[in-house]
Amino acid sequence: MIRLQIPSHADYIDIVRVCLYGVASKLSFSYEDIEDMKVAVSEACNNAVLYGRSKEEGGSLIDVSFQPTEAGITIIVKNDGPPFEHRESELASPPLQGIEISELPVGGLGLYLMEALMDEVKVQSGENGTEVILTKYASE
Amino acid sequence: MKSQQFQIDQKETSDSYVISLGGELDLSVVTQLRSALEPVMERADLNLVLNLRELTYIDSTGIGIIVSILKYRDGINAPFAVKEIPPSIQRLFDLTGISGYLAEGTDK
Repeated sequence: MIRLQIPSHADYIDIVRVCLYGVASKLSFSYEDIEDMKVAVSEACNNAVLYGRSKEEGGSLIDVSFQPTEAGITIIVKNDGPPFEHRESELASPPLQGIEISELPVGGLGLYLMEALMDEVKVQSGENGTEVILTKYASE
Repeated sequence: MKSQQFQIDQKETSDSYVISLGGELDLSVVTQLRSALEPVMERADLNLVLNLRELTYIDSTGIGIIVSILKYRDGINAPFAVKEIPPSIQRLFDLTGISGYLAEGTDK
């Protein structure tokens, strides 16, 4: 397992992408799969930065772990913030479709993209924070 | 993989205002992009164009900004277009559904 810890700030999310690229390349994931994972993992980090504890509350860190498995790779993004809502049922279709332009939602696309780009997405919240667990299967 | 710095290049012509983006558009540069857009959002006399040719990465916050430009320009009946979308970014536009609105544009 490979672990990375970054300050909970948007300026460091690109480092998570660079690290993911290295790990996933070594596991021989395709270019497309790596691109998909880059977006999904960044979205999980965005949520951690946006909903984690603020600097005033003592600041926080984001832990990212990359776990190669037999099936592919599992990436866990953990922060010490409060839980955020995860409603899988509402994410079945593209969020920006069949609505008037003026009614289009500006936010809330992060979880949808994670669901669309990964094979499994789990969100676990507890007293110690929130964990987003992302799994991608290796393609044949 | 090298992380590419986000870049904004702006050019005004007689009838349009072209903002070309390069590098990685993510949460860390949202404020930078918003301030670049602010002075031109109101310009209904100009065709606002976002050129994405050099963009290597976009996340949901970047897509959110494009949605907000689309809504604003549509609201004031001003033209807005997104051009030269790289395939990897087009894929995310298709997944979220925003491509359907970008094809239509607001220039009616």
